[in-house]
Amino acid sequence: MRIRLDDDACVGHGRCYVLDPSTFGPDDLGHCELLVAEVPAADQDRARRAVAACPEGALSIED
Amino acid sequence: MDPRDAVNAETGEANPYLPWVAADPQPFYERLRAECPVSSMEGMAGLGAHIISRYEDVRWALRNPQIFSSDIVAVDIGQDRPLIPLQIDPPQHATYRRVIDPTVGPREIAGLEPEVRRVVNEVVDRFVERGTVDAHAEFTVPLPCTVFLQVTGLPIEDLSMFLEWKDEIIRPGGGMLEPEEATARRHAAGRQLYDYFEGVLADRRRRQGEDLISRFLTTETDGRTMSHEEMLDILFLFILAGLDTVTSTLDCSLAYLAQHPEHRRRLVEDPSSADPIVEELLRRETPVMQIIRVVAEPVELHGVSMSPGDTVILMLGSANTDPDEFGPTAAEFDPDREANRHLAFGGGPHRCLGSHLARLELQVALQEWHRRIPDYELAPGAELAYSPGIREIEHLPLVFTASAPVG
Repeated sequence: MRIRLDDDACVGHGRCYVLDPSTFGPDDLGHCELLVAEVPAADQDRARRAVAACPEGALSIED
Repeated sequence: MDPRDAVNAETGEANPYLPWVAADPQPFYERLRAECPVSSMEGMAGLGAHIISRYEDVRWALRNPQIFSSDIVAVDIGQDRPLIPLQIDPPQHATYRRVIDPTVGPREIAGLEPEVRRVVNEVVDRFVERGTVDAHAEFTVPLPCTVFLQVTGLPIEDLSMFLEWKDEIIRPGGGMLEPEEATARRHAAGRQLYDYFEGVLADRRRRQGEDLISRFLTTETDGRTMSHEEMLDILFLFILAGLDTVTSTLDCSLAYLAQHPEHRRRLVEDPSSADPIVEELLRRETPVMQIIRVVAEPVELHGVSMSPGDTVILMLGSANTDPDEFGPTAAEFDPDREANRHLAFGGGPHRCLGSHLARLELQVALQEWHRRIPDYELAPGAELAYSPGIREIEHLPLVFTASAPVG
């Protein structure tokens, strides 16, 4: 599973890296940074929840 | 208590400022969304004051600042110049956020946790032996202000002075004054606050420390540091935006949990559930009911034309309980809901920059409160009065099982 981040849409709500700190992390501004290119199977449920929690719709699942 | 009084579907008018709306906003929100998704402020139909209430519409407005501007004319709260960055539009807005956001970002804020936990326990210690408390006056008001003084390195003795200025600016005379008098009192208090910070800035320039204000003074963005005036405008906003909002969220949270023991049990048994519980309280209670914008470009929504200069109220509380976004359980309290994309901190470029600190304060405050005061309820006969707009509870009398202070 790969995740796409729309940098222009992210404004730093920070829900993604709270809900799934192994897939997402904060940059200096508190905006989202993807930590992995491929989400391992064990983290996928958590990553899905984090993607769904973004109020800006800045995250999507590619496959 | 009839929410029908607050909404007139025939004329498309509504009034979110009635006290009983603030006390129990859900029926009001429901009628707004269903009957007039773009309504007029009561008595102002045709005068350019619009209320937007559905989740998708509010979200769209937040994300389009070129149409819905945050220009200073939107809110007068005793400031000399636009508050930075709240009342600055893009693109200049982004420059300020690049300076401020890193100083209140998730990593910096996480480092404050032990300090916040200590402050919360100190505040609880003052009343925990008594078994009764006005949680508003003794817990939710002093807490965020004490944290603010702590992170900015200001003397704790200034607490009562700050609280006075804040009240004078946000609701002078308890919100009961004529508009002209209220404005005059606001500006007088605003003046004192500016003067106070003038002194603080002069002091910090002489002796720099590790506190938030010192860090602002030295952070460079786009090749320069903040000017003196810019610093004043940022600090002014911090007081206004950082204190009342956390107070009102804690008011709404404790009042809700006092009346719903089944929901607070989880917090008592599992303090790590504070994150989803705080998020659900933010969503369902939405203490900052609404935020204001000014129309900058002609726009039409649900058949209502809005013109440049019109005032727009974005009803965050209504967006946050919209079944089109949150499903059939939108009105229920469910910390385990699949997705909670609430807009309690707004959205788009102006998303609340203090949200990381606010979330830390809320989580730690509720964790420590429930660790030390697991059993509590509203004092017998208590009637809660919520203030409109920002839902503070004037008095929040609680009774609980007394215990010994730890400090």
